[in-house]
Amino acid sequence: MKEVFAGAVLAIAMTVAAAAPIAAHHSFAAEFDITRPVTLVGSVTKIEWTNPHAYLFIDVKDPQTGAVTNWEIEMGSPNGLTRLGWTRTMLKPGDGVTVEGSMGRNKPNLANARSVVMTATGKKLGAASSEGAQ
Amino acid sequence: MKWAATALVVLFSSALLLAQAGRGAIAGRITTDQGDPAAGVTVQAKDAAGKFTSVVASGNGEFRLANLPAGTYEIVVPQMGLRTARYAQPNVVIEAGRTVTLNIRLMPNNFGILGDDEAFLQIYNKYKDLKGATPRTSDGHPDFSGMWLANVDPNPTPAQMLPWAQQEWERRRDRAFEGMPTSRCLATDPTLTLPVFYKIVQTRTLLIHLFEQDPHYRQAFIDGREHPKDLDPTWLGHTIGRWEKDTLVLDTVGLNDKSWLLQATWLPHTEMLHIVERYRRPDLAHLNIDVTIEDPASFVTPVERHVTWLSTPGEELFETICPENNKFLQNSAFK
Repeated sequence: MKEVFAGAVLAIAMTVAAAAPIAAHHSFAAEFDITRPVTLVGSVTKIEWTNPHAYLFIDVKDPQTGAVTNWEIEMGSPNGLTRLGWTRTMLKPGDGVTVEGSMGRNKPNLANARSVVMTATGKKLGAASSEGAQ
Repeated sequence: MKWAATALVVLFSSALLLAQAGRGAIAGRITTDQGDPAAGVTVQAKDAAGKFTSVVASGNGEFRLANLPAGTYEIVVPQMGLRTARYAQPNVVIEAGRTVTLNIRLMPNNFGILGDDEAFLQIYNKYKDLKGATPRTSDGHPDFSGMWLANVDPNPTPAQMLPWAQQEWERRRDRAFEGMPTSRCLATDPTLTLPVFYKIVQTRTLLIHLFEQDPHYRQAFIDGREHPKDLDPTWLGHTIGRWEKDTLVLDTVGLNDKSWLLQATWLPHTEMLHIVERYRRPDLAHLNIDVTIEDPASFVTPVERHVTWLSTPGEELFETICPENNKFLQNSAFK
């Protein structure tokens, strides 16, 4: 699979010693590859606020060719996102975002999100768990 | 195979004299994988005899275990929810009169799809100081009703499986546990030990668990009835309960062999599965649950888990209709 995508600004290899990565709903490792992290900079085209996972769709433009690719970003459930302070209207089509996550294994232009930052405000949506615990 | 946490560990000793001869200390700071203070996590020092000494990290993630007899310890940070991986650093030598510094960076357990469980520590810290007496029902029994944030056993002992079960477990592992029933929108683990929210509704005759995975409820009959004969095996089985003083003992049989047991382990089992849960509420904030999982056709000895749930009265369950938009099968690398 082509690993240099439009807007991919960073891909750091991570050392992972896991054999049994487990998520609440499904096995992470069956769907995503932690050894292929990706950062995507683009604009929101659609949000699916659904169970068992919400999905964020973003258009990412290749800075060299100008070609635009629509990426599908898996997130947690609306329940988990709501508990982090998200709402289904927090992101709207056209909003600029930077998404960090891992590449999907079986489908091009699929990734998960570990973090989403809004371009306009620099606000990190769904900050790390201990943030705000002070 | 266990998930071995990748951690940044800095070990050095400082010449801090301690008051008590023959004793030393360990101190440091715990951060998340993102570098934030991991407030509220428990740090355990396990000595050579298996005895634990523990302390909870402060708001800035700092911890100190003082007055430890000189010796060799394993330092453990148990898994918190689905968010963090269990951390274990063996062979930490505590010398008399010295403080060992151990800075720990936790790693995500599930590689962290945003929203999956990122809020666990945040919610845990919101309620961890909740205090009060055990609430009781009008008939004098402890009242377990309310919203609970479950957690995993901080020190789980590995299951000893019979050969067929071991082979099946290895097959699951080699397929990255892609076959988890919940990934197909099937039922959750019947041991009800996932580190998620459970809501308990208690009446004189029923103890009902509500949760955000299929089948969304389990009812335990605490009206004195027995298990029916010739039960058709089901995902969560048939549960009855009886009071032993302030402990409610729940007994579940009639289980099918399709469920996977225990988060991060996912054990196979047969229809001989028998689950006994002992519920105690020692105070307002905590629910202590001892789970014994018996299946002589799968395990050499019963598997035990000891968990503590935290009362979270300001939280609520959400509707969760899994088949609404489940893309796992089309996105999975395994076909």
